[in-house]
Amino acid sequence: MAVAATPDELLSLGKSLHQRIVNGKRRVLNAQQDASLLVLTDLILPATDTPGAKAAGVNAFIDLLLAEWLDTEDRDRFLKGLGDVDTRARAAFGKDFLQGTPEQQTALLVAFDDEAARWKASPEATRGPEPFYRMLKWVTLFGFFTSEVGATQEEHYAIIPGRYVPCAPADTLSPTE
Amino acid sequence: MPKTYDAIVVGSGMTGGWAAKELTEAGLETLVLEAGRPITTADYVEHVPPWQMRFRGLDDRKKRMADQPIQRECYACDEWSSKFFVNDHDNPYTTEPDKPFLWLRGRQVGGRSIMWGRQVYRWSDLDFEANLKDGIAVDWPIRYADIAPWYDHVERFIGISGEKLGLPQLPDGQFLKPMALNCGEEVVRDALAKHWPGERVLTIGRCAILTEDHNGRSACHYCGYCERGCVTLSYFNSINATLPVARQTGKLTLRPFSVVHSLMYDKKRNRVSGVRVIDGETKHAIEFRARVIFLCASTLESARILLNSATPDFPNGLANSSGELGHNVMDHIMGGGANGKITAPADKKPVGRRPNGIYVPRFRNLAGGPKSTFLRGYGYQGGAGREGWGRGADLPGFGADWKKALRDPGDWSFGLYGFGECLPNHNNYVEIDKTKNDAWGIPVLKIHCTYGDNEWALMKDASIAAAEMLAAAGAREITPYIDHNPPGKAIHEMGTARMGRDPKTSVLNARNQAHDIPNLFVTDGACMASTANQNPSITYMALTARACDYAVGAMKRREI
Repeated sequence: MAVAATPDELLSLGKSLHQRIVNGKRRVLNAQQDASLLVLTDLILPATDTPGAKAAGVNAFIDLLLAEWLDTEDRDRFLKGLGDVDTRARAAFGKDFLQGTPEQQTALLVAFDDEAARWKASPEATRGPEPFYRMLKWVTLFGFFTSEVGATQEEHYAIIPGRYVPCAPADTLSPTE
Repeated sequence: MPKTYDAIVVGSGMTGGWAAKELTEAGLETLVLEAGRPITTADYVEHVPPWQMRFRGLDDRKKRMADQPIQRECYACDEWSSKFFVNDHDNPYTTEPDKPFLWLRGRQVGGRSIMWGRQVYRWSDLDFEANLKDGIAVDWPIRYADIAPWYDHVERFIGISGEKLGLPQLPDGQFLKPMALNCGEEVVRDALAKHWPGERVLTIGRCAILTEDHNGRSACHYCGYCERGCVTLSYFNSINATLPVARQTGKLTLRPFSVVHSLMYDKKRNRVSGVRVIDGETKHAIEFRARVIFLCASTLESARILLNSATPDFPNGLANSSGELGHNVMDHIMGGGANGKITAPADKKPVGRRPNGIYVPRFRNLAGGPKSTFLRGYGYQGGAGREGWGRGADLPGFGADWKKALRDPGDWSFGLYGFGECLPNHNNYVEIDKTKNDAWGIPVLKIHCTYGDNEWALMKDASIAAAEMLAAAGAREITPYIDHNPPGKAIHEMGTARMGRDPKTSVLNARNQAHDIPNLFVTDGACMASTANQNPSITYMALTARACDYAVGAMKRREI
């Protein structure tokens, strides 16, 4: 390759190669899409005093749903929405979503979240299919809280509660604690 | 010459298990024929957490839509428990296009008792006298006094948790200590007591789940998913409770993979002599003989077997001189109700997963009370809870603070879901569809069944009254609704071989014995002459035990 690459492009190439190796098992998502989802889901549910969406492997779960669960129409809508994230990112800060700073990425998500809330309050919500961001937010929640790390560390889900406490203090973590 | 058993029981579910227990305990060599596969407690999956399931509980929906498009309509046919429901292609039935009916079925040892709803409510004379008083269909040939000792008998063995209320329309039973209402449910209970004293009552569901160790089975550990099985045997089903007792007698032969095709009839003796079976695996035809036969195959399957057993003497189905066999199909109409958000202690939440809800017994058209514009009545199931992480989908924001906010429980909500009585109607019926066979070459049923005006009037009233009760409890965002469920969805189908006093208008007598053929008994939901509004399984079980007692006596007296 005779053309000199900019540092950004080199970084991008490196990240993309890295992702392709890490995510070689994805069935629908390409490396770029997978890497974007990894960042998006982890912005929605980040690691705090408990692990976040990244540790829970939410992106892999989304890939499974895209491959085996969603109807073609919904799958295509999700993937198109994911592509639109880059379109919006380039409009907002002139780069693909992945190349933005965490601040730029967060600002874009704030905009998506506001738009989703406005959609929910609009007559559209009773008619049209859900926008991409609402699909993403729901599947991130579901994928996280039904994962082992999410269910056990964040939710304190007890497989065998052992008892039913009808009126426990609201901050009770689990029936065994 | 094949061995002749004392008794053959067709089906190993709710009632088949009871027939097996009662008949073997009485010393009868009993063959139980089960169409499906054997299962054991090793098949139970209630403790498999979502993260060990491929779709985390979202189910393998494409496979389900392909293999079980009908069964998947049942709430319990999920990623864990779908294996307890039949494959719809192997087990077809037909309907008219504008009369959908959901036949939700389990074919395995234990039948649908494996994933039943476990709610247990006695009937009263309000129910047994209803047909007579309303001049509808035929009078029940029994009254509460006839069945009460058998309710006791069955309940003592099963173990029923519940609260005694002293209500005439919902007799108390042999109860273990009740499960607890949570503080949201206490709010609504108190509001009903204040606004409708002596009329509307909210109590904890009476259910076949142990709150104390009982008969060698352990108290519930509140994992919450009984329909997936229970390794501690805490809820009642055949394989947890009745079949093991039958096995211990040494008198039980249980044969899975035995799809009953029809019954054999001995015209000379006017007796059923045995059963024609198609082996579920090899598809070979086999015959078994017995002195007495109990059909416990489920309302629709028992009717199908009798209809497929037509002879020159019974051209329209065995034991069908009345012409009522297959007719009067009923299922509880369900789904008139309301939801709302209630004001309950914000600093409290329920912990643990109670596999039971609340119950509001019937309060319409009671003896001596005001009469509604509709006949009969309905009861509600439901409950209170606090929203969890799922509310995050509509909670604005994301990130660390948003994640932390989801740790707190959300609003208290409350739901009431009505179950209404379905009137018997001769025009709701099943027949053999000669154009179609199941996977074992047996002609299938064509089901003709729709709800009538009275059923829909009940649900309309149930919806309005539910909203009214939520309003009285100070609820907000009250949403009344009527689910337009097709019949079958409540899985309380009944009535294809009704009991009655007159052989000309009913198939079975007061002992669940065929009027036409003395050694033939049908003790599943087929026998029901009306539906009441209570969940029916406990009544089927009590009638089964009662019929077994009679049959054993009649055999000893050489009457059959």
